[in-house]
Amino acid sequence: MAGNQINRLSGKGLVDHGKTVSFQFDGEAFSGHPGDTLASALLANGVRLVGRSFKYHRPRGILTAGSEEPNALVELRTGARREPNTRATTIELYDGLDATSQNRWPSLKLDVLSVNQLATPIFGAGFYYKTFMWPAAFWEKLYEPMIRRAAGLGYPSKLSDPDHYEKSNAFCDVLVIGSGAAGLSAALAAAKAGARVILCEEDFELGGRLLAESDEIDGKPAQEWARAAAAELESLPDCRIMRRTTVFGAYDGGVYGAVERVSDHLPVPPEHAPRQRLWRIVAKQSVVCAGGIERPILFGNNDRPGVMLAGAVRTYVNRFGVAPGRTAVVFADNHDALRTATDLAAAGVAVRAIVDPRPQASAAAEQVAGEAGALYIRGGIENVRGALGIKSVRVKDAQGGTKEFDCDLLATSGGWNPALNLTTHLGGKPAWDSALSCLVPGEDLPPGMQVAGAAAGQFSLQACLASGEAAGAEAAKHCGFSPSALRRPAPAQDRAPATPVWYVENSRGKAFVDFQNDVAVSDVKLAAREGFRVPDHVKRYTTLGMATDQGKTSNLNGAAILAEATGRYLGAVGSTTFRPPYTPVALGALAGHHRGKDFRPTRLAPSHRWAEEQGAVFVEVGAWMRALMYPKPGEAAQETVNREVSNTRTNVGVCDVSTLGKIDVQGPDAGELLNRVYINAFAKLPVGKARYGLMLREDGFAMDDGTTARLAEDHFYMTTTTANALKVSQHLEFCQQVLWPELDVQTVSATEQWAQYAVAGPKARKVIEALLDAGQDISNDAFPYMACGKFTVCGGTPARIFRLSFSGELAYEIGVPARYGDALIRAIIKAGAEHGIAPYGTEALGVMRIEKGHAAGPELNGQTTAHDLGLGKMASTKKDFIGRFMGEREALNEAGRAAMVGLKPLNPKTRIASGSHLVKRDAQATGANDEGYVTSMAYSPELETFIALAMLSNGPARMGEVVKVCDPLRGNETLAEVCSAHFVDPEGGRLRV
Amino acid sequence: MRINCPYCGARGLEEFTYRGDATVKRPESIEESARDAWVDYVYLRDNPAGLHKELWHHGAGCHSWLEVTRNTVTHEITAVELAAKGR
Amino acid sequence: MPILSIRKEGGSVSNLESTSALHGFATPGRYGKRDGEAGVTASERKNLGLATVVARKGQEAALKTAIQGAYGADLPDGSRSAVGKGVRFIGIGPGQWFAVSESLANEALADELATKLQGIASVADHSSGRAVMRIEGPAARDVLAKGLMIDLDPRVFVDGAAATSTLSHMGVLLWRDGNAYDVALFRSVGGSFWGWLRDSGAAFGLEFVTTS
Repeated sequence: MAGNQINRLSGKGLVDHGKTVSFQFDGEAFSGHPGDTLASALLANGVRLVGRSFKYHRPRGILTAGSEEPNALVELRTGARREPNTRATTIELYDGLDATSQNRWPSLKLDVLSVNQLATPIFGAGFYYKTFMWPAAFWEKLYEPMIRRAAGLGYPSKLSDPDHYEKSNAFCDVLVIGSGAAGLSAALAAAKAGARVILCEEDFELGGRLLAESDEIDGKPAQEWARAAAAELESLPDCRIMRRTTVFGAYDGGVYGAVERVSDHLPVPPEHAPRQRLWRIVAKQSVVCAGGIERPILFGNNDRPGVMLAGAVRTYVNRFGVAPGRTAVVFADNHDALRTATDLAAAGVAVRAIVDPRPQASAAAEQVAGEAGALYIRGGIENVRGALGIKSVRVKDAQGGTKEFDCDLLATSGGWNPALNLTTHLGGKPAWDSALSCLVPGEDLPPGMQVAGAAAGQFSLQACLASGEAAGAEAAKHCGFSPSALRRPAPAQDRAPATPVWYVENSRGKAFVDFQNDVAVSDVKLAAREGFRVPDHVKRYTTLGMATDQGKTSNLNGAAILAEATGRYLGAVGSTTFRPPYTPVALGALAGHHRGKDFRPTRLAPSHRWAEEQGAVFVEVGAWMRALMYPKPGEAAQETVNREVSNTRTNVGVCDVSTLGKIDVQGPDAGELLNRVYINAFAKLPVGKARYGLMLREDGFAMDDGTTARLAEDHFYMTTTTANALKVSQHLEFCQQVLWPELDVQTVSATEQWAQYAVAGPKARKVIEALLDAGQDISNDAFPYMACGKFTVCGGTPARIFRLSFSGELAYEIGVPARYGDALIRAIIKAGAEHGIAPYGTEALGVMRIEKGHAAGPELNGQTTAHDLGLGKMASTKKDFIGRFMGEREALNEAGRAAMVGLKPLNPKTRIASGSHLVKRDAQATGANDEGYVTSMAYSPELETFIALAMLSNGPARMGEVVKVCDPLRGNETLAEVCSAHFVDPEGGRLRV
Repeated sequence: MRINCPYCGARGLEEFTYRGDATVKRPESIEESARDAWVDYVYLRDNPAGLHKELWHHGAGCHSWLEVTRNTVTHEITAVELAAKGR
Repeated sequence: MPILSIRKEGGSVSNLESTSALHGFATPGRYGKRDGEAGVTASERKNLGLATVVARKGQEAALKTAIQGAYGADLPDGSRSAVGKGVRFIGIGPGQWFAVSESLANEALADELATKLQGIASVADHSSGRAVMRIEGPAARDVLAKGLMIDLDPRVFVDGAAATSTLSHMGVLLWRDGNAYDVALFRSVGGSFWGWLRDSGAAFGLEFVTTS
């Protein structure tokens, strides 16, 4: 009911009591105040039950007040913006917020699947391993669907996310992570010294625990000090404060990943604003001030709604002005938690008892209890009553007597652990501090990282302020700045020895360690009995710490139980390894701008716009979009390809070949470099001529091929396949810089500079002649096959023309500076109109090259040698070249190797699928009989049959033999005749007219 | 990871491609007697836990091949040089 | 049809009309946030002469002397630029420079450099292969930071500084000219670059203007 915030402490806390915002939870309307989280607003409204647990569907409430929350996971928002597994403790309340509890059916209060907990013995440690090992088929059909229905978290929206995400980069001298007492002090010290500082805070308010405690700094309330410090930082020009920003990972080289929740606190992102922004922050120094995470003491039914960490209770009271209960019991083994009793009492909450499990009575605790009007009992919690929310607790005292307290809140604390996750992301190991009874950051911190405040085990307020200031100043000093003298002296050693109590022996019911993954004390003990000794192994066996919270509130308790169960010292047991991200990061944020059509940059060829106008169908080739074909209305795809091929073979066609890699090779040693990278000779190629070349890898296998033209004595122009352009560039640079730096040769990519079109077909010359400026001759005598030269076309446009042919027809490739590419394709089409010119796409190009038996990508597949491609004779025997020695190994030149041949199906209408395997005509289609495979297939309109290229064992010697082509994926087998790969014009007469 | 390119300055890993051991040397001979040297050069690599001299290509930057001395255990980079220098 | 008009650009005569890399993608106007001053202004610097100059083996000193003599610029030894008479030379790698010129437009720059540097450097024309976008305005750095992993703090990336890097997975050469940033991108990614710029600039208000 809106307006009925029964647990709101009027006038208390930092929320804006003057304003009210409305929200819904599970369809019910509630209200809260600006400054609330969903968790604090639910508690203000008396809602304690917020979810069901992962495995047993146990009712769960709110355990913490921060990002470590294991229980209170909800589905936030609705429709396309629905986001599962968001932590109610970090969701900033906004007007209209709509959240739903998850993992329950049919309703939160009545969950049918909670019968899972009756089957607890089955779901114990190692349940998955033990139960579902066999038979394998049961996994898919039975176990997995069953588990998925029974266990799980929330459901994502299956609709496309309507919001956008972006990435950004930032650089700084000092990155401060966390804005509590330590973080603010560190940022101030570094920024005032002149360093460029970035301060990241995962919360929407700066201050950390200062917001949650009734502390004083310099005689003023701590919140006031935090506000003043924040204001001072805001006023410094080189300090960037990033609220709602979680630094989730530390990476090599001072790189930090952070996610900024730009619009998560709003119903929808403002116009032009992203929902979230992923930051890559490069910092010379960092100061981790991530604070501490409180740990619970475990006892039977400790997961019931109403059981809350003591520090979280103070957060709700002091920061949010909410009483998480009306009658409370405090169960803690440390001095810090006593403040909870004091603060609760001050807020008017009845504190029934302070239960202290330590062996020795504490005078301080007794005094606090007295002041708070509570009983002080040495003992433990034996059981909790109230499934949907606690109604009472039973306390067993040190003498064995029991006493039942009615209460709706149990505040528990087993001490604090430093939030040291970021310190271990690069492999550093935390160290056990026996005085503090917690893991503290170890010696092997990531380079440039310091840790201060509670994250470093400096838990007292004075220690946080002093260590933060010292670390900030030190970080600035490392960046070359001179910080002024430290203002705050480090306090005297305040490491009060702790006597940690991890769990209550012999309490009733399941005592949970990992709330999110439903791992109980008994599961860890069972794992220990079964021989597990290493925390990382126990983690995998029991799933302890494997949930979305990575065990922030459970890992150390788990390790402690393991240590005890295996009779070892806790410090020697160690801990599991923390890995990024610190808290879950949305995939959308990791993708940023790069989704949908923006997944990666698209390269468009010079004729792209024109091709679009012609209705071309495009295909991705690497990052390029190439025209696949130019269908006419009503034409089927095969008809289009046949028409484009036939028209090129009878009239003339044009194809954009600008996407081929083009490399400008200059210098006196250009020819020598080419000699060393191609298997055939180039140094003596005459100026004005082009030559086909094949490159090998150093292991003797083919890498790439293409034609290279000599434009001048010291100037070659190399082409590569579209897909390998970058690889070949890199290869040439390797040869120049690493292998043969003595060569005087310079290479630079020219791919983007030239728009290049292949004009092919019997009438190609007429088209090119129409474009040429007067006085230039490209007749067969003046400009024969494989000639190249510089010309001008279309009234002075500089052009390079190459008489090359991939199609097998009379052909020219004409290149002009790319900015004329669009105009040139239009000019070619216009000039060719009277000759019946038509554009052809890569599909037709592929058909023609298969008809000609030219190897391409499918044949240059990394497993073929020059010999296999039928190009072995091209290799020079007079020079060393890359791949020569290893390429000459016997096994790479055996006749029995699969080598390239053509295939014609006995029935010309039978399609041969690429990837099919070849066996002897009468052999079974088994691996043992395998003799090769089909690399490329096409329908040849000229031969009126399907044809294919294949790699066949001893192929060239088997012309005329019939082999069986097996396509086991589609269940097809067909017979085909082995033939020469040169299906069309094998003598190449058409090229030379 | 960031590599301090001698020409461009410190840049993110994304700008570089890895090739491997920088100490192997391409044999000059193509005689049969060089077979072992070729097999070593093409296939055999040490896999040290610790300092490793390796080649990286700054393909998104100055296109230099770099000789990077990296600790394979910590990823700490102690030296970066242009591969063309000293060859 | 383009063929009808005769244009004179940078010395060469062509009756083919040239097309900008952003043609058909970016039309002049205001994008994203509409109120207030545009946070970022973008324009394409068309018809620039662009060329790479790579010193031949052992000719670096001779090349520097030649450039100093011809253009009054000291070729820089690092990733930054030197502005000479009509030509800016930007270091892009050891012994390699990228030359940019307004006055020697299009092919004219590469033609002149090739002639003047015969035998001491290899020159390649890039006037058609790259588009140069000028990004300026109070939010220029914030916009660029969304794609570029380069520290653009004005104290670090000073006037004339340059970087060869990637911007949103596209290879770019970036240099600072006063308070403006010039980004040379590959011609084929003009559309993708524009998509990135439009999205990244939207929050600040992006003005795309044409220049002659």
